[in-house]
Amino acid sequence: MRNFILIIRKYNFFILFLLLQGLCIYLLVRNTTYQKEKVISTSNAFVGRVYTAYSDVADYLKLGVTNKALSEENARLRKADSASFYDTSFRIIRMKDSLNKQQYEYITARVINNSVSRINNYITLDKGSLQGIQPDMGVISSNGVVGYVKDVSPHFSTVVSLLHSGFKVSSIIKKNGYFGSTVWNGVSPRYANLLDIPIHAKISIGDTIVTSTYSGIFPRGIMVGKIHQIGTAGESFKEIKMLLSTDFQNLSYVYVVRNIMKAEIDTLETKLEAIK
Amino acid sequence: MIGDIILNFFRFFLLIFIQVLVLNQIEVGGAINGYLNPYLYVLFILMLPVNINKTLLLFISFITGLSVDLFSGTAGMHASACLFIGFIRPSFLNLIAPREGYETTLRLNMQGMGASTFLVYSSILVLIHHLVLFLIESFSFLNFFDLLLHVLTCSISTLILIVLSQVLTQKNREAVS
Repeated sequence: MRNFILIIRKYNFFILFLLLQGLCIYLLVRNTTYQKEKVISTSNAFVGRVYTAYSDVADYLKLGVTNKALSEENARLRKADSASFYDTSFRIIRMKDSLNKQQYEYITARVINNSVSRINNYITLDKGSLQGIQPDMGVISSNGVVGYVKDVSPHFSTVVSLLHSGFKVSSIIKKNGYFGSTVWNGVSPRYANLLDIPIHAKISIGDTIVTSTYSGIFPRGIMVGKIHQIGTAGESFKEIKMLLSTDFQNLSYVYVVRNIMKAEIDTLETKLEAIK
Repeated sequence: MIGDIILNFFRFFLLIFIQVLVLNQIEVGGAINGYLNPYLYVLFILMLPVNINKTLLLFISFITGLSVDLFSGTAGMHASACLFIGFIRPSFLNLIAPREGYETTLRLNMQGMGASTFLVYSSILVLIHHLVLFLIESFSFLNFFDLLLHVLTCSISTLILIVLSQVLTQKNREAVS
């Protein structure tokens, strides 16, 4: 026992180092596994306030570009508005629409912190659980896919960006319906790779890649990117490089996607898991 | 003594502020994206007094890393890397000590240590810090060569900023005294 105490006294510096290092590893592991009860996240109140102040200034400098993007979107929406169509029918039949039911809702949010140059990139939004945002909701911009919500506090939320080594977006090639997953290549914020497309699929450069509904977090057909380069990886799969449609280096306003029927789909699918 | 504590407190807040609100926000696009992220806040740990208690040094390093983590949403990553350099700093300083040892009033900056010794001291600790940081951040995502390249280029950009800051503060002190 006395020897034990002597050893501890002799090596106390090293032991303290190991203890603190252990604490770091605990935080790291906890951060990646238990998303909901995280100790440290950029969505906590103090950090959120600092970043809000920062982006108040930064947003002002980006007003020109943001205005342009918003007005372009307005123009596109106006084009789709019923007022801009010439009415070709001569009889109006009114009926209650029982065929279609709303499945997705969109919550607008402002980006208050964003990174593209790290290997795992995150985005912080200025809306949180009070505005109805919950973990695992999809996030899109007016140009395409952005990421999914990781953590929420009452007023802020953190988003795992598409530019994250651990995030896969299940996507399909719009032209012929082959599905694969989009993963960032870790180098440039403009490009990502599309994996798992079989070698016999007929595709060409410039083909559009959109989201599939398999993940349940994005609606069908949200733009992901366009094919930029085609190669082969191994014997059975193609290696596809795509130009992402979202410009992550210039992101100010995004939409958080709420899938109203997600709970229903999830309960159905967990039943399937239980049988296995 | 009290002056030292106040000076270090001031340096802590200034460096964390610069790291979080300026350096972390710089996004260089194109082919060099991700290769030029300086982590200047390491300078704070490098410049802590030479005769600081080893245990205190560990705690301060840990808290410094944790504060940067808090703002980057990366729990434990910077803290772990900072702990490493906090742990090896005393032995490393002994290793490069002059024969008669350090004077307790010596300041660990370019002026106090001399340019070449300071460069060796800071570049080795910065390299180790970046290596640990990138190893934790990217586990198996980047291949080994890419990882080393990231470590090297980021270390160089950090070192350039460290030397710049040294040159700037040095001028000021000469003007005052």
